[in-house]
Amino acid sequence: MNYILDGLRQALELLFGGDPETFSAVWTTLIVTLEAMAATLLLGAPAGFMLGYTDFPGKRVIRLVVETFLSFPTVVIGLVVYAFISRRGPLGELGLLFSVTGMAIGLTILGLPIVIALTAQAVENLDSRLRPTLLTLGAGPRQVFFATLGEARFGLLLAATAAFGRIFSEIGISMMLGGNIKWSTRTITTAIALETGKGEFATGIALGIVLMGIAFAVNLAASAFRRRAVA
Amino acid sequence: MSALYELAGVVQRYGEREVLRLDRLDIPEGVILGLAGPNGGGKSTLLRLLAFLEAPAAGVIRYRGEPTFGREYALRGEVTCFPQEPYLLKRSVRANVGYGLSVRGAPDVRSRVDAALALVGLDPGRFAGRMWHQLSGGEVKRVALAARLALRPRVLLLDEPTANLDRDSAELVRRAVVAAREEHGTTLVISGHDQTWLRAICDEILWLRDGGLATPTQESGHFRPSQSPGDIQPVDSDRSNP
Repeated sequence: MNYILDGLRQALELLFGGDPETFSAVWTTLIVTLEAMAATLLLGAPAGFMLGYTDFPGKRVIRLVVETFLSFPTVVIGLVVYAFISRRGPLGELGLLFSVTGMAIGLTILGLPIVIALTAQAVENLDSRLRPTLLTLGAGPRQVFFATLGEARFGLLLAATAAFGRIFSEIGISMMLGGNIKWSTRTITTAIALETGKGEFATGIALGIVLMGIAFAVNLAASAFRRRAVA
Repeated sequence: MSALYELAGVVQRYGEREVLRLDRLDIPEGVILGLAGPNGGGKSTLLRLLAFLEAPAAGVIRYRGEPTFGREYALRGEVTCFPQEPYLLKRSVRANVGYGLSVRGAPDVRSRVDAALALVGLDPGRFAGRMWHQLSGGEVKRVALAARLALRPRVLLLDEPTANLDRDSAELVRRAVVAAREEHGTTLVISGHDQTWLRAICDEILWLRDGGLATPTQESGHFRPSQSPGDIQPVDSDRSNP
């Protein structure tokens, strides 16, 4: 038991002492999560909204594909993106492999199906009385669209929170596409795996505390927003 | 002068099922028309057609002398509908009542919202700031009605406005809609089961059964022909198709 408590004590020293290696991993995690979340929401939220809002032939097939991708193994995402951005791949010249951008691309592909599927579902589950209500109050097509978006805001928030949870804590994709390079592409998750493998529990625990702390903070903020509006 | 609404040969079907067939129905401007009859008789369907929420499967609806098809968005600026189970946007009471005014770009939204809330007996100071989920069922109905009254529509369609309301609220609704006609010349079409309530406010009551106009028979023992028939002309099929 002692080495765990020792680890915890050393972890707090690392955190409050501002250990640069620890904070480099935290910083990289924040940057890559921010980039991946921005791309996921910019691409996924409109796509999911249109998928739930409109009717077109082939819609059911697209929904099925998106929902299948929800359970796509992350190593396969890593593998496919690796193949595309490695030196010999079609995007090899961009030099994205083992870069933060490369990791963000893989994590975006991980987050997209989550945001698309949950957003589409949120829009489809809106009250069937919403549209006739807006229409009889005199809303035009554009106004109906934006009011519908507003009504779906809690669903959108849930979609974003779910995607954040996966992206922020993903390790396989970060490891394969980032390469766990110290000071560069080492994230909290890849660092924990490495340090634990080396028997360096203190760093692992320190990083684990930060990882959980940030995840809790984000979820708390999201649920506070919900509560403020609903309760 | 032609009537506000002229329906000719209007048929509505949902899938294979025919739910409404009206050979002819004219609704003059400024009347209060009641729709009575059993559930599934076609009252709500007729109201949705009059609200331009759906287009008929066959036949023509003219509004102020012009066919309505393709002009629904513009016409819904003059005609609004109060549904049986109103839905409130997930916003404050003020935003709900003001929504229709905002989409029209109307001035003085704030004061018109306050006035509309007062019309339905809700104190703006107490209620305007509340959120949609802080209201009782009856308050939801009154807020929704205020949202329609605030628009001062040319036509106000009400689908069973007093269902699930207590006597005082029903009286409030009666006063509010009668005031709409007296002050703004609003034409009202009101469906309902409460015969006494309907007769107290309508110039004329139409009976709808099995999707068609009917004459009240034994099941409407309380029915009393209107004192002044007005100029509503429900022409039944035998006469309109010689």
